Amino acid sequence: MKVLIANRGEIAVRIIRACRELGLPTVAVYSDCDRDARHVRDADQAVHVGGGPATDSYLRIDRLLDAARRTGADAVHPGYGFLAENATFARACLDAGLTFIGPSPDVIAMMGSKTAAREAAIRAGVPVVPGSDRPFAADVPTDVIARDAERVGYPLVVKAVAGGGGKGMRQVDRAEDLPSAIRTARSEAGSAFGDSTIYLERRIVRPRHIEIQLLGDHHGTVLPFVERECSIQRRHQKVVEESPSLAVTPDLRERMANAAASVARSVGYTNAGTIEFLLAEDGAFYFLEMNTRLQVEHPVTEMVTSRDLVHWQIRIAQGEPLTIDPAQALTPQGHAIECRIYAEDPDQGFLPSPGLIRGVRAASGPGIRNDGGIAAGYTVPVFYDSMLAKLIAWAGTRVDAVARMTRALSEYEVLGIRTTIPFFLWLMQQPEFLEGRFDTTYLDALLASRNGQSFIALTKEEEDRIAIAAALNAWMQASAGGAPASAAGPVSAWKAAARREARQP
Amino acid sequence: MTFEIDLGGRTRLVAVERAGAPGRFRVTLDGVTRVVDAQRFGAYGVSMLFGDDHDATTAVQIAPTALRGEMLAHLGGRAVPVSVNASRTRRSGGDAAGAAHGDHTVVAPMPGRVVRVLVAPGDEVAARQGLVVVEAMKMENELRSPRPGRVKDVLVAAGTSVEAGRVLVVVE
Repeated sequence: MKVLIANRGEIAVRIIRACRELGLPTVAVYSDCDRDARHVRDADQAVHVGGGPATDSYLRIDRLLDAARRTGADAVHPGYGFLAENATFARACLDAGLTFIGPSPDVIAMMGSKTAAREAAIRAGVPVVPGSDRPFAADVPTDVIARDAERVGYPLVVKAVAGGGGKGMRQVDRAEDLPSAIRTARSEAGSAFGDSTIYLERRIVRPRHIEIQLLGDHHGTVLPFVERECSIQRRHQKVVEESPSLAVTPDLRERMANAAASVARSVGYTNAGTIEFLLAEDGAFYFLEMNTRLQVEHPVTEMVTSRDLVHWQIRIAQGEPLTIDPAQALTPQGHAIECRIYAEDPDQGFLPSPGLIRGVRAASGPGIRNDGGIAAGYTVPVFYDSMLAKLIAWAGTRVDAVARMTRALSEYEVLGIRTTIPFFLWLMQQPEFLEGRFDTTYLDALLASRNGQSFIALTKEEEDRIAIAAALNAWMQASAGGAPASAAGPVSAWKAAARREARQP
Repeated sequence: MTFEIDLGGRTRLVAVERAGAPGRFRVTLDGVTRVVDAQRFGAYGVSMLFGDDHDATTAVQIAPTALRGEMLAHLGGRAVPVSVNASRTRRSGGDAAGAAHGDHTVVAPMPGRVVRVLVAPGDEVAARQGLVVVEAMKMENELRSPRPGRVKDVLVAAGTSVEAGRVLVVVE
């Protein structure tokens, strides 16, 4: 089996690694701005599929299939994002005689529609969050949606039917804010997913986001894994995930795993998938949605179960039956935490910070896993998600995993651009995080309360030493005959202005 | 040789001179002189041993960013903007001139595409009121007014692709 990876960045690198371990050759694809990307160098073959914007490359089904045909690939792994949950793509792969490493197109289509997925959960006897009975297409007038909103009840959430990762999603506390929330959700969903259909859902107050990873084979076995805790979110985007959750007892784990498995079984689910739940303060849990693909945060599950989910995706696609012991899959060994390292400036409200990476000093050492897609000399493009790498720390206990993560973050340096590493160093010290007292609203509330204060904590001595290092650096450059550092030019006025703005409360 | 180091909005004067053996320097900051053993590592790193502090080690990497003249100093996972001899350039920067006229420019902090323009020239705006929505890296970022005022100029329209630093709106 030769595998074409219809993706880029860290997940393409991750899948290439799994293929290599299984002895399978790989084909990477790349856009104009990704010729320098790491996945292109790591794969056995690489095919150019178009321009920088994803709609011109990574979302071009025709070109991806053509790349598979020309290279003789016979399987396609979609990764996550891009076409991973696009039923048309999965169908097109099958029609072209390719193995699609994922669930069937029909299941992708059904579970990809949030409303159809809700119905499936209800049929499987799993509770769902109260919400719209049917989706609202782009041309449904706001007043019609507003009537449904009164029935669902405030506070509520406007969600894109095709949504994911917090895109096309807006919280609404009062009726008068509904029209603008509908407008922005539709606009964001339209540009991100090409589908601006939305629906409404009651907002569960202070919930945790707990999800269950599943594998399903082609022989009728559906296997749930120990939960992932994904409540640390910024604007509905997960930033830290861990396994297990401090909020989940073995009894609750079993009930959530059973609920997830029954939803998956009821739709004939195959390959890797994840069922997301909201866990309310009273211990009740509600089906939120199903992701019919590999998740970004799959490594934390791998770390606590010693199972390789990408290996299993491929083996399942090859027709192998699952041979994992169900009890082991539900019994976490130790604790794993993942931080998503983004090219964003936490000190400027997490604005994207694309640009040339001058060097990478990735964390390593005991218990550390770095799933990265970057290297020195690569320019982080503006066209895609800004995630650079995922840093995963494993240890026997959560306390030790946090200490290990902190140590690894302090080793991790991405030169030339700003990243969210300083933010994670700060987060790893917050008492609520350390004690596990948080829900999905925790991080946004905490960030809002900081009034834009810098995440970069330096002692006076550290500041002095950086100033000395800068002077020595300039001295060495000058004495080496290079241009003196001062010739680098003035700090641009706009950048200074932008930074001042960001600091304003 | 004395360097003006702008770090975290503060200018520090650092005098550097050789201290005999290769790689050894006498460094003076805030009136305190220290002997430092300094060694390059990689293209951007400076490894230092501070003689006055039992040869305590500090490794800093200083690399330029995409913005002309700006460098980031990386220490223990943290990245701080630093510039050398910045105080001289700051005096001639356009920033101060703009402030004198009471105008404030709102610029694109990153390359992207303008999705929506929320204000028109002449509009009164409150501090932190949204002015323009710019999409970059699949997220919509609302750029807000840094202060209350009146919109003097709107220099972009929905659909415009903008580079980092492009002036979008002027608030007076």
